[in-house]
Amino acid sequence: MRCKDARAILIGNEADKASAALLEHVAACPSCQAYARDAEGLRGGFRAFAREAVPEPSWGFAARVLRRLDELEERGRRANFLELVGRRVVYAAGVLTLLLILALVLPASGPLRGPTTAQLYWAQPDATLVASNPIFPDETGEARDSNRLAPVVNSTEGKQ
Amino acid sequence: MEPYRAELDAQELAWIQAAQRGDREAFGRLVERYQQRVFAQVFRLVRRREDVEDLAQEVFVKAFRAIRGYNFRSSFATWLSRVAVNHCYDFLRRERSRPPAYAVSAGGQSDQPLDVVDRLESSEQDPERQAVLRDLVGKLLARAPADDRVVLVLKEIEGLSVEEIGEILELKPGAVKVRLFRARKRMLEDWRNLRQEK
Ligand SMILES: [Zn+2]
Repeated sequence: MRCKDARAILIGNEADKASAALLEHVAACPSCQAYARDAEGLRGGFRAFAREAVPEPSWGFAARVLRRLDELEERGRRANFLELVGRRVVYAAGVLTLLLILALVLPASGPLRGPTTAQLYWAQPDATLVASNPIFPDETGEARDSNRLAPVVNSTEGKQ
Repeated sequence: MEPYRAELDAQELAWIQAAQRGDREAFGRLVERYQQRVFAQVFRLVRRREDVEDLAQEVFVKAFRAIRGYNFRSSFATWLSRVAVNHCYDFLRRERSRPPAYAVSAGGQSDQPLDVVDRLESSEQDPERQAVLRDLVGKLLARAPADDRVVLVLKEIEGLSVEEIGEILELKPGAVKVRLFRARKRMLEDWRNLRQEK
């Protein structure tokens, strides 16, 4: 058996199941004897370490865990609320900014925009012109009839 | 793997199921049942008494948040150990990001009475030797990389089987054996260096 193999067994998971070949090698090899002694020393160290007193939970530990869960839940709720409010503020600010940009960037007229007050004002004289067009009153039947009857009545009165 | 449910005591099963539905009171009973175990595990992994309570509390908070994912395939103790070990792993990695990990000189430890170990080699029960050995292993573990430390604590200190460690670390038993072997080898080298320096 080589030293490398002997040492692999000495620190392996089955170190307690020493074979005859291993014992024979270790008995004849001072270097592996020292290695085996150290390995056993380390194992003893682990055993001593395992026996060490560990800290105990102080009284009320479980209650403190539950209180911590409550705190975290409350904090989570608050964070969610603030996030929601914050998100809405951001959305509102975004919409306002967009409107502002549109107002500044878009041309004063065009398919996306209605006529301005000024345009409406200047458009009015045209409308009056159209309204005063002499053709329009003649188009009402009533006006035409009265105009036609009037001379007839007048002529009858003249004869009598 | 044999489901744990069969051997699970009815009371614990009821607590777990209630906790999975968000029942904090039931979870509190589980905390009471496992707090000592978690404290011991956390202490052995991080070796800092002043941090144990905070870390253990964080472990249980994480466990409550994750308990819906517990599927009864392993024991609750094993599942909880997984939460604890992962939490300690993160803690150790954060702590380790400062000093170098392994095989550093044992400088500043010249008062380490290693000769006591040799002198008292035959008397395992001697309290003085016990204390020296314990401190020595504590120092070696503190210097070890987090991976080595976790696997060695679970095997050598907590006495868990390779299979149980595999469940906690989510590794196949073969992979656990390889890790254990390497960790032991590195630690023994460090142990021998420490003694040669003496
Ligand atoms: Zn040899």
